[in-house]
Order: sequence, then structure tokens, then C-alpha cells
Amino acid sequence: MPSILTQFRASLSLLLKYRALWYIYGGCRPRDIQEVLMKKRRAFLPFVFLLIALVSVLLAETLVIQIQKTAVRKEPKFYAATLAEVKSGDTVEKLEDQDGWFKVKTAGGIVGWIHSSAATPKKVRLKALDNALRTDASAAEVTLAGKGFNKQVEEGYRAKNPELNFTLVEKMLKYRLSPSEIEAFLKRGKLGEFGRPQ
Amino acid sequence: MKKRDVFTTIAAVLILLMGGCSMIEEGAGKLSDVVGKADSAVQTAKTIRRTFGDISEEEEYYIGRSVAALVLSRYPASQNESLNTYLNTVGQAVAYYSDRPETYAGYHFLLLDTDEVNALSAPGGFIFITKGLLKRCRNEEMLGCILAHEIGHVTSKHGLRAIKNSRLIEAFQLLGESALEKYGSGELNSLVNIFDGALNDITEKLIEKGYDRKYEYEADALAVLYAARIGYDPQGLTDFLQTMVKDEGTGPGWFSTHPAASDRIKRAEGTIRSLASRPAEEAARTNRFAQAVRGLK
Repeated sequence: MPSILTQFRASLSLLLKYRALWYIYGGCRPRDIQEVLMKKRRAFLPFVFLLIALVSVLLAETLVIQIQKTAVRKEPKFYAATLAEVKSGDTVEKLEDQDGWFKVKTAGGIVGWIHSSAATPKKVRLKALDNALRTDASAAEVTLAGKGFNKQVEEGYRAKNPELNFTLVEKMLKYRLSPSEIEAFLKRGKLGEFGRPQ
Repeated sequence: MKKRDVFTTIAAVLILLMGGCSMIEEGAGKLSDVVGKADSAVQTAKTIRRTFGDISEEEEYYIGRSVAALVLSRYPASQNESLNTYLNTVGQAVAYYSDRPETYAGYHFLLLDTDEVNALSAPGGFIFITKGLLKRCRNEEMLGCILAHEIGHVTSKHGLRAIKNSRLIEAFQLLGESALEKYGSGELNSLVNIFDGALNDITEKLIEKGYDRKYEYEADALAVLYAARIGYDPQGLTDFLQTMVKDEGTGPGWFSTHPAASDRIKRAEGTIRSLASRPAEEAARTNRFAQAVRGLK
């Protein structure tokens, strides 16, 4: 949990900074306006919004891997060298966003790139506002909880439909090309970045 | 405002925010390390998941596996290993340049050993094309565009959109009400029935009636886009469709599940014209395509 403490400390230091600004701002106002502001306690609302925005921004930087597994790559391209592997349910810190790729930091501290389609943002959910706020991570949470249409449901379906041939589906899943094979294919066919300038 | 009030407000807001967060994962780590929090996730699932867009990647994969099994119960799979590897190479390369290059278990392609002209895509990235369709392709540009069209269906989750929403809501409610990691027999039975119904919804569209026309046009537009991104001549799509015009309305498969080819050509040509630049056919690709399909009967 060192990360939560770091973020909490960062939030507090920003709060203290803005509190100071608040006093400077208040001190510079003409007395009559100050009095009006004091009477209207709603004036503290900016603090509320600031806090909500702050916490949301901080927490939006965490991503959940939603696919079986993927490589954390040295560069934002599929056939770049693999630095680490992350799998479904792992969380990574998002550092940068570039043309559909995220620069991330893994639990092991390795920094590299994953494609945005491999992950979903892990956003904070407020119970008080649950009906108003939808979170993108909900499906990932359900998967985490072992729920949903899963292996157990498939087994139940297969028991009722024994004529279906899942062996062929498993065989289909074995057709898997490595990124370096695809890179060689692109090069030979003058495709992608190896193509002719258009 | 008194100093004390400001602090009280800050403290209250902090408590509300930090205490009110039902599930906060911080930094990099493993979600399953917080098993204790899974219950709260399940509790809220019933209020959060509502439509096809809330189906998780893993669930989409399990739906796709069964749809693929249903497709393979109707069509024989080709045993031509080298041709299947070639299909997977072209398809995977195109998928890299799509809007959704990563799915739960990746994209997989299979040739169906039938002369019927058809191409089908199951959710999650299980994509099939028939021998009859491949025979109509003259080059890799045409094949790349057909596969790009099918990848477009997966990218836009057209298969999942075919599932009746009432079915999904029923499933999400059932899932949301349980906190158990494994289903009880009654619960499992209900879920299997919903799963069965969802598969029927998808195969009815995919194999029998066809997707809505707007989804086909959308997949065509995506095919042009993905082809242009990777460097295939997007005219490969219209060239293929041209081969279908003369046979319109003459058979099962593609002819009964897709809108009129002439209409699609008109629209696709419009999309091609809107491209900033258009890649051209490349001899190296056409040669390797000829090599790959040599001996195809």
C-alpha cells in the first residue's frame, strides 16, 4: 500500500497549498465582498469540487488488464521487445497516452507500453453517487469476483449440447503468430511502417 | 468562513471520499489480492451492468467460443494447415492496425471447407471464411479487406449487440444478487439457459438472417479504414464485392445475410474517396497470395 499513502500525501500537500491560496484570495477582497462570501457558506464549494477532481484524477491513472495476457513492450508497437508480461486482473499505473498506446508501470516497477485495448481505467466509485456514476471497471470487477459467463457456464452449456465440437475451437485457438513473425510478414509485403510512402 | 469550518469541511469531504469509495485499487498490483473486496464488487454489479457494452472481455471470449463451436457444427473446418497459418498471419497483421488489436484471447482465423461463399465473425475474435469466398479473391488486398471487414464486426461488438437486452439484464441481476464464487445448481441452470438464449440471438443474426444493414455498412467503412492503415489497397473490398454482384440472390450464406453488393460498393467507394491517400496493390503480396492458395480446390 505505499502507493495509496503517496497519493494521499500528495493530495494533502496540494490541499494545504490551495488552502493558502484561499486565504490570500480572501485577504485581497474588499471587506464588504468578504462579508458576503462569509455569509454564503456555499463559497467553500470550490474546495469540494477541487477535492473530487483531485481524487478522480489521481485514481484514473490506475488501469486494470482485461485480456488473458499481454506484453509490456519497450516501444509502442506490437513487435517491440517484451519487457514483462501482465495478465487479466493485474493493475498497472498509467504514465502516458500516445496514439492508442499507454506507457505504464507494472507492480514490479517495469516501465513499458501496452495497447489501450488491453486495459480499462480503474476509476473510483462513490457509494453516495453510485447511481449517477458509471464505472468502466465494473465488468472487470465482476470477472475478478469469478462471476459472469465463465468456464463453469460453458461447461453447463456443453453438458446440454454434447454434439458441439469444442476440440476444433481449441485447435483454432492454437493458431497464434508471434509479433516477430507478423513483423517479418509486414516487411516482406511492404506493409505498415515498411510500406511505400503514400 | 471560520478557519475551523474550513478544516471541518475538508475533513468531512475527505472522509466521505475515502470512506465512501467501495473499491479503490492503488498503484500497480494484483486485483485478486483484494478478494475481500470482491463481494462489494458483486453487490454493485446489479446496479452497474446494463447493456452489451458491460459484458467483460472474458465473458465475450466465452460467448465467442460457443458461437464458434456452433459455426463449426454447421460447416466443416479445413485441415489445410499452411493455408490456415497464412489466413492467421494476414488477419493478425490487419488486427494490429484495427481499433481493437487486443481481445481476451486474441484473434484466430479458420478456413471452412465449403464452396458456399461466406465469412463470419464470432465475438472475441473467432473469424471464419469459406473456401468458396477465398476462391473469389484474386490477391492479398481482397483477402485483407474481407478479414478487415470481419475484424470491424468484432471491434464494434456487432455480435454482442445481437443479444436481447432483456436477457442481459436478467443475467446481470442474477449475477449481482449472488456473492458466491461458484454457482449453485439452480443458479447455474438459469445462467446456462440465458447463455443458450444469447447464443441463439447471435447465431440467428450471424448465420441465418444477417446483421442489420447499418452494421454491414459500418464494417465496410472500417474495412476500408483498416486496409488503408496497414497498406492494403482498399479497393480490394469493392473488387471482391464486384464478384458478388452478378450472383446476387442466388444462394445461401453471404447472399442471404448481407445487403446488396451493388449498394455496398457505392458506399465503400465513397469511403475510399474520402481517404487522404490510397495504397496500391503490391506484387510481393500478390505473389505470396498466389503461392498460398495454390492447389485450392
